Amino acid sequence: MNETPRPFYWTFITLCGLVIATYILFPVFWLFLASFKTRDELAQLPIAFWPKDPTIQAYRDLFDSGSQSSQLLNWPTLISNSFTVAVTSTIIVVVLGTFAGYAFARLKFPGRDLILGGLLVSRMFQGAALLLPTYRLMNMLNLQDSLIGLILLYSAFGLPFATWIIASSLREIPFELEESAMMDGASRLQSMVMVVLPLATPALITAAMWHFVGAWSEFAFASILLESNENKTVTIGLASFVELFTLEFQRVGAAATLVALPIMLVFFFGQRYFTRGLLAGAVKG
Amino acid sequence: MGSVNLRGIRKAYGAVEVLHGIDLDVEEGEFAVLVGPSGCGKSTLLRSIAGLETISGGEISLAGKVINHLPPKRRDIAMVFQNYALYPHMTVAKNMGFSLRLSKESKSEIDRKVTDAAEILGLTELLDRYPKQLSGGQRQRVAMGRAIVRDPELFLFDEPLSNLDAKLRVQMRSEIKELHQRLKTTTIYVTHDQIEAMTMADKIVVMRGGHVEQIGSPLDLYDRPVNMFVAGFIGSPAMNFVPASVRDASVMTTSGAEIGTQEGVESVGEAIAGIRPEDLRLSDTGQEATVSLIEPTGSETQVTLRTMDGNLILTTRDRLDLDVGQAVHVMAAPGKTHLFDAKSETALKLRESA
Ligand SMILES: Nc1ncnc2c1ncn2[C@@H]1O[C@H](COP(=O)(O)OP(=O)(O)OP(=O)(O)O)[C@@H](O)[C@H]1O
Ligand SMILES: [Mg+2]
Repeated sequence: MNETPRPFYWTFITLCGLVIATYILFPVFWLFLASFKTRDELAQLPIAFWPKDPTIQAYRDLFDSGSQSSQLLNWPTLISNSFTVAVTSTIIVVVLGTFAGYAFARLKFPGRDLILGGLLVSRMFQGAALLLPTYRLMNMLNLQDSLIGLILLYSAFGLPFATWIIASSLREIPFELEESAMMDGASRLQSMVMVVLPLATPALITAAMWHFVGAWSEFAFASILLESNENKTVTIGLASFVELFTLEFQRVGAAATLVALPIMLVFFFGQRYFTRGLLAGAVKG
Repeated sequence: MGSVNLRGIRKAYGAVEVLHGIDLDVEEGEFAVLVGPSGCGKSTLLRSIAGLETISGGEISLAGKVINHLPPKRRDIAMVFQNYALYPHMTVAKNMGFSLRLSKESKSEIDRKVTDAAEILGLTELLDRYPKQLSGGQRQRVAMGRAIVRDPELFLFDEPLSNLDAKLRVQMRSEIKELHQRLKTTTIYVTHDQIEAMTMADKIVVMRGGHVEQIGSPLDLYDRPVNMFVAGFIGSPAMNFVPASVRDASVMTTSGAEIGTQEGVESVGEAIAGIRPEDLRLSDTGQEATVSLIEPTGSETQVTLRTMDGNLILTTRDRLDLDVGQAVHVMAAPGKTHLFDAKSETALKLRESA
C-alpha cells in the first residue's frame, strides 16, 4: 500500500459524498422544515426555505382526536401497529437467525455453503413478483388483513439475510474459544450464549437494525394485505395522508417526519455497530 | 488427580487414519510429555483425551473410569490451548472463574479460588484487566489460572509456550514445572521442542506418524534410544550417525578407521553407529577428519568435522586449540557408541553380560 497521504483524492471523495448526501437529503429536509410552517405560508410565493414563524400545530393536528385528519387516520393506532409488527418480527428474525446462523457457522452438513449462498440470493427475488402469490397464500391461510400475517411474512422475508449476516460473523469467532468453554464445563448452548453471542453483538445489532428499518418502512405487502383501518401501518397511513391532504402540506411534512423518526433514532444509536457488523464478514482481523 | 490409561487409541479423519493404536499409561501425579515432529498426531491424541475429538477405536480411562463416551464437560479435565483461548469479553477474574460459575459454586467460593490461583501465578494486580490488555506471558498465566482453579483430575497442555519469545519460554517452563511440583496434578504436555520435553518430563512419549516410538524417562531415552528416530530426535545437537561395521567390540567406519569400541555387541557387517556430540573426542588414532567450523558458545564449543563418511559434530567444554582446515583424528569415548540395524533402524541388542 502507498503510505503517503493523498489530500487531493480524499478531498474529491469527501466532496462527492457531500454532493450525493445533499441531493438525497434536501427534499427530506425541506419536508421536515415544511412541517413547522403554516398552511398559509406554504401557499405563498415565493416559498421561503426557513419557516418564518415555526409552529408545531401540524403535529398537534395529527394527534388531536377532534381534528379532521384523525377521524380518517388514527395515528396512535398506526404507530402502535407498526411498532408491533416491526418489533415482533425483529425479535423472531434475530432469535431464529442466531440459531440458524450458529448452525451454518459451526456444523458441517452437505450443501451448507450452497444453502448459505442461496439465502443471500433469495433476497433478489423479493418485490413485485411475489405480491400476488403472497396475497393468495395469505388468503388461503386466512391471514389476510391481520397483523399476525404481516409479522409472519416479514419474518420469512427477513430471516435469510439475518441468518447470513450472523453466520458470517460467527465464522470469524475462533472455535477454540468454544472448545475452551466446553472444557470449562459449558454445554453447547451455554458456550453459544455465554461466549459466542457476546462477541457477536455487532452482528446481532446490525441484523436487528436492518430488519427493523425494513419492516417499519415496508409498504407494498402491507398495502395489499391490510384492509381495515384499525390494522393499518404508518406507511399506508402516510400514503393515504398524501392523497387526502395535498393542500395541507405542513401535515404531510409532520406525518412524514414522524414516520422517519424511529429510523433516524435507530441509526443514530446503532451506527457504530452497523458498520462494524456489515464489515465483519468482509474484512479479516 | 488420577492416572490415565490409553488402550489402542485410533483416530481416523474420513478414510485417513492419523493415530494407529496408541497405548500409554500416565501414573497419578506424573508429568508426561508428548514429543514428535509436526503432524505426528500429538494434538489429535491430546484432543481425543479431552473429548474434543471422537476416537474411532480404543479406550480412554481416567482415574479408573472409562471416559470414551463422555462429553468434554463431564471428563473433569482442564486444557491450556496453544493460543490460550481466553474469553475476550471477560476480565481476567471472570476468565478464571468461568468454570466455577458454570458448576454453580457460590460467589464467595469463586472469589476465594480465583484470588488464590491469582496469587500463585502472580496475577493479583491484573484481575480486572481484559485479555487484550495483557502481554503474551501474562495471557499464558491466565490460561493456566483458568485450569488450576478447577482442581481437575488431569491437565492437558498443547504447546503452551510456542507463542512466547525464547527467554520467556525458559522462565515459563520452570514456572509450569514448579506449579506441577506444588499441585501434583497428573499432566500431559505436548511440545515439539525436545529440550522442553527433557527438562520438564517425568516421562517422555516420542511419537512419529501416529505411532508411539518409545516411552521412558528423559535420561532413559537419551541413554538407551530404541531406534535411530528417537536417538536423533532427543538431544541437541543431534546424535551423529555413520555407517559402520563391528568386529570384536571394535566399531569401524566404512573407510576402515576405528571410531569407537563397544563391549557386548555381536559382530555385524552392516550397521549404523550413533555417537552423541559430547561423546566424540579428539584422539591420536581413529577417524580422520578436517575441522570445517568452530562455534564457541562460551560454556562449550561446537566443532563441525568433515570426514569421508559425512559430517560429524563434536561438542566439548575444553578450550581447544584448533584451526579451521586442520586435520585431526576423532573417536567415541569407550562404550559410548550406539549401534542400530542398518535396515530396521532399531537398536542392536547388547549381550546380558555387558
Ligand atoms: N480436522 C482434521 N481433518 C483431517 N486431518 C486432520 C485434521 N486434524 C489433523 N489432521 C491430520 O492429522 C495429523 C496429525 O495432526 P496433529 O495436529 O495431531 O499433529 P501434531 O503432532 O499436533 O503437529 P504439530 O506439531 O504441527 O502441532 C496430521 O497429518 C493432520 O494433517
Ligand atoms: Mg499440534
